[in-house]
Amino acid sequence: MEKNLNQNLFLQQFNESDAIAYDERFVSNTSDYNFRLLDNAYRNTGRVYAKLKLAVDSNKCQDETCAYELSEIKHLQEAPQLSLDFLSSLLAELSVTDDPNFDPNNDFKYTAANSILSAKPGFSKSDGYNVYLDLLQGGAQQIVFIGPAFEEPLVINNTALNALNESNTSLVAPTPDINKDMLRLLTEVGVFSPDMVGENGQLTAGAKITEEYVIMNPDGTPDYEIIDIGNGKGRNILKYDLNKIEKKVTPFINAEVAGLMSSEQDAVAAWNVYISKGTSVEEDDQMAQNANAGNSSWSYTEDLPLMQDKKVLFEKKYKEYFMNNYLKQFTTNQFPTVQADAAVFDLAEAKRAKAQKFIDDNNL
Amino acid sequence: MAIGAVIGLGASILGGVIGASSARRAARAAAREKARLTMKLGNLEKNRQKVVNPYEDYTSLSGMISNPFANLGVATGAAEIKIEQADISLANTLDTIRTTGGGAGGATALAQAALQSKKGVAASIEQQEKANEDKAAAGEQRAQQQRIADEQRMQQAGAMGKQFVFGETEKRQVKEIDRTYAELTGATQAQAQAKADQTGAVTGALGSVASIAGGMLGGK
Repeated sequence: MEKNLNQNLFLQQFNESDAIAYDERFVSNTSDYNFRLLDNAYRNTGRVYAKLKLAVDSNKCQDETCAYELSEIKHLQEAPQLSLDFLSSLLAELSVTDDPNFDPNNDFKYTAANSILSAKPGFSKSDGYNVYLDLLQGGAQQIVFIGPAFEEPLVINNTALNALNESNTSLVAPTPDINKDMLRLLTEVGVFSPDMVGENGQLTAGAKITEEYVIMNPDGTPDYEIIDIGNGKGRNILKYDLNKIEKKVTPFINAEVAGLMSSEQDAVAAWNVYISKGTSVEEDDQMAQNANAGNSSWSYTEDLPLMQDKKVLFEKKYKEYFMNNYLKQFTTNQFPTVQADAAVFDLAEAKRAKAQKFIDDNNL
Repeated sequence: MAIGAVIGLGASILGGVIGASSARRAARAAAREKARLTMKLGNLEKNRQKVVNPYEDYTSLSGMISNPFANLGVATGAAEIKIEQADISLANTLDTIRTTGGGAGGATALAQAALQSKKGVAASIEQQEKANEDKAAAGEQRAQQQRIADEQRMQQAGAMGKQFVFGETEKRQVKEIDRTYAELTGATQAQAQAKADQTGAVTGALGSVASIAGGMLGGK
């Protein structure tokens, strides 16, 4: 698993870097990308087609019904469209490896295959790579990738790929856009009033959590926390009832996770790239590679379907990620909405006044 | 167009394959979004907070309603004293008659007087009992009216509670269903559009497939 991760990271880094441009040997040699997949696949089909046709026309079939010959003719006639469907389907799958948040725990061979099909530098025939499309008897087709990045040839059959696609399964798991999902989730968790949501479906710049969650004094005024802003000055900031907020948002986060679990491989990708280590969004953004989970990654081959304990852990970590990276900014350093209370004041005087109020309130 | 060389296609077919490939990804993404929304909606509905019936703690108080006049006692003590007094008076009078040598006629008159006195006492008791029965009946009538009123109040409260629960549940269901339905419709439309794009791209490409098939048929 770790070997696969490292190979994938290497391929990604290789493709993203300009290193090869500074390799004189590479620059001075021919890069031959003329794999000519379809030309090669269909090179002899004309002759085969003609033989079959002649056999049928001259009653020289394997048996008197000509069933085999007629069936093969039909397959050959349908083959071009199947090839186009197969290639478009395969390109769609492999292009996931180019996504900026691609999970390198996916099989690295698909990254290499995508590099060949998209003619990336270093993956040409001259670099030792080749790719074949085979038309198999019975109408199926397969594509075979070979070259230095593959210990064994990578073989993908069109009927297998179709079956996976039909059941909404992927060869390569795309990573959900967690940032987009969580920004949307912020508007759905019920702690912001609807007028705080802009036309783009996200919170507006000055969005604040509704007063229902602000801690109040018995007299109905907000119970401010005083912060030191330097030079002997202070400001009031709002205090929030975090338990109440958590109780409110939890069912919505759980529903979001349930939605994500509709495709467990997406959840695995999200875990590996974002959720596992409890990093901040900034840390994720700054990460050179999407290897957040590192050696605690979940494997697509070994951990799917996800066991219940992993689902529970995912839900817990997802919630923490949301609370720490997205909601926390709205519960910290929030200035009062009452203009007078939002002003800067003398810190020592305010502290004295607060102490005096405490003495008065408690008859001390 | 290096990818054209890889696949061995002319630009027109290649454009179709790449277009179909993008459309396939879009269709897959829309299908995933649809599945995600469906699961999310299911979870929200399954785990939503129960609608509270604010009337459910109403209880019937009719058990507390009683008829305070139901078991009124008759003041027989006074009647007994009266009878006793009458008897003592009769005995005293008899003694006086004996002492003064009175005749049997006097005794008879006395006995009748005593009888009259006792009859008066009995009538008084009867009167009290009648008054008490009247009061008990009136009390029972009032108690029944109150019990009926309370049962009516309970039934009304129950009905209002059910109506409230239904209304609130209905409101919330409709809101959630509307929202998710809108999202699901969006995802379904996106999926349909992506599939149409995919078909269009492949169909466009197939117009140029003659070059592939041509190679095949050319060898005939």
